[in-house]
Amino acid sequence: MPDVPDSPAAADSLVRIRGLRFLRGTRVIFDGVDLDIPRGRVTAVMGPSGTGKTTLLRLIGGQLRPAAGSVVLDGHEVPALRRRELYALRRRIGMLFQSGALFTDLSVFENVAFPLREHYPRLPARLLRTLVLMKLEAVGLRGARDLKPAELSGGMARRVALARAIALDPMLMLYDEPFTGQDPISMGVLVQLIRTLNDALGMTSVVVSHDVAEVCSIADYVYLISGGRVVASGTPAELRASGSDWVGQFMHGLPDGPVPFHYPARDYASELLDGGGRS
Amino acid sequence: MIAALGRWALTVFARTGRASLMLLAILAGLPSVLPRPRLLVRQLYSVGVLSLPIIVVAGLFVGMVLALQGYTTLADFGAAGSLGTVVALSLVRELGPVVAALLYAGRAGSALTAEIALMKATEQLSGMEMMAVDPVRRVLAPRFLAGILAVPLLAAIFTAVGILGGYLVGVGLLGVDDGAWWAQMQAKVQPLRDVVNGVVLKSFVFGVVANWIAVFEGHDAQPTSEGIGRATTRSVVNTSLAVLGLDFVLTALLFGGVR
Amino acid sequence: MNPSRTVEVLVGAFVMLGLAALVFLAMQVSGLTSLGADAAYRVHARFENVGGLKVRSPVSMAGVRIGRVTAIDIDPQTFQAVVELSISSRHANLPADTSAKILTSGLLGEQFVGLEAGGADAVLKDGSTIKLTQSALVLENLISQFLFSKASEGRPETPAPAPGPAGQP
Repeated sequence: MPDVPDSPAAADSLVRIRGLRFLRGTRVIFDGVDLDIPRGRVTAVMGPSGTGKTTLLRLIGGQLRPAAGSVVLDGHEVPALRRRELYALRRRIGMLFQSGALFTDLSVFENVAFPLREHYPRLPARLLRTLVLMKLEAVGLRGARDLKPAELSGGMARRVALARAIALDPMLMLYDEPFTGQDPISMGVLVQLIRTLNDALGMTSVVVSHDVAEVCSIADYVYLISGGRVVASGTPAELRASGSDWVGQFMHGLPDGPVPFHYPARDYASELLDGGGRS
Repeated sequence: MIAALGRWALTVFARTGRASLMLLAILAGLPSVLPRPRLLVRQLYSVGVLSLPIIVVAGLFVGMVLALQGYTTLADFGAAGSLGTVVALSLVRELGPVVAALLYAGRAGSALTAEIALMKATEQLSGMEMMAVDPVRRVLAPRFLAGILAVPLLAAIFTAVGILGGYLVGVGLLGVDDGAWWAQMQAKVQPLRDVVNGVVLKSFVFGVVANWIAVFEGHDAQPTSEGIGRATTRSVVNTSLAVLGLDFVLTALLFGGVR
Repeated sequence: MNPSRTVEVLVGAFVMLGLAALVFLAMQVSGLTSLGADAAYRVHARFENVGGLKVRSPVSMAGVRIGRVTAIDIDPQTFQAVVELSISSRHANLPADTSAKILTSGLLGEQFVGLEAGGADAVLKDGSTIKLTQSALVLENLISQFLFSKASEGRPETPAPAPGPAGQP
């Protein structure tokens, strides 16, 4: 493992987010988020469900536009990019979706070949085959190349999606909840894959997740997001040792604490006494 | 009440706007389909070839019923020889393009909507975007193009089969003279006014509308299982209404001035 | 056969079938075949009244179709109708004194031009005019003629409503 910097600002950052504000309808998702993703490292973004972690990835990938603030990726201001420039930039980004997002009508081989075929239509068939098998070998699924996505287990599907995401050798990999709904074994495989791919291919990785243990085992740096802003950041060890109640509750998974167990509601007793009358 | 009406109007305007913008994007993406005929062939297979059975069977029966119904009326006037004309004109001008478009909406349009909506719900479209592949060009444009090519072909097949079905009943069963059937038909049906205006032009317009609606509803669907169901229903209902409404307008424009 | 090849073949068959259907509609249903399929020559005929004759109405001789009406116009001097007939070149030996009538096929049928051969040795050529013509029968004129002739007979009978053969026109 590379040495861990004290703060990402010390390292050269690939993604720099400043004053990010984003609304979905009238609901505020982000309100002044500042975030740096250091080059060559695995950065995790964690937070309770519904805090817009996936939205953050889409903002980095330019699929959504912020209401205010800047998202700079490798020197490009993403929201200001024109369509053509944005598509050129996305060729260098890989994204692993929570659902895998495999094309159900294509075989595993064709799924991994898809980005190659789209972007290099003149690629010789032999070279294409070699590249696809290389990527499948990297995720350990070379033998599954003729299966259809419906025949794969959840973990295998996610690994195929990972092979497809790295098909174009991206500089930045975005992982959207890579560990959700995985059994312990495939979880372990994925954890290891994310780390080794990052280091072997010289990529930068962003992992969005709420699986504290898995994330802490691979992340070099962690951002905790809640209520539309960054509430804490640091190395996994720093966060675990943090004195803040909120960080403590999240990192150790306690049911009640600063984040209440109950969704905001009227007083329980008075609501029951109300007798169901509409007010 | 007024607020609700206003909200509804705003939704309608917004949907129309999104649909129009999407049509423009698809049209701009059409040239990128041409160098990749394989994409087109795959889609022609699913919207065209797979619609063929229902089109052929329906066409056959519609033609047979037309001949049966037309015969009883015409025979009263001693004009059973004109049966071919009646069958051919109703099919070529109206029933061919309209019924073929309605069947297409039910068979292929709904499938198109559901497929695109499901691709959206399973993040396949989003995934494509992140792979720097424009889903409008890669997914929507080939389907749209295949659809607008398929509808006129299906309408032509429907009409031809319908006339043959009418021939089977009229000449084979009811004993209309074979020569009179074709001769009267040829004397009254005109290639430019009826065949080109009816089968080709009308069904081209219907094809554009049916596929536009199908693709739009799929792309605009809520990415939930309920949303997909709603989008599919809406696709069929809206296409049917649009086809029937447009048919009136087109008939008035194309045939209204003649006789 | 590999699956993508099957798809290609089926799509090809579908497109061919669709085009064949269009050709069928154009040729067999709308009778495009008889238009310019073989060489034809044009002759003109003048009529006082063409009735319901239309462009593309058939031209026949002895009940056999030998051509079509290709144009109907008004002569600006005489105000007669000038009908242009296109007759198949296979029938290039029609005598120059052939006569033309506008006839109706059946009681309610369409109108067509019937030609009757004369006895001259000269033949009709491209651009010649048929001299002997008989206009279409217009039902209203027939009825009024009938009524007037009845009236001029000195009313031997009660002027009953005209028992026209077609009943109400």
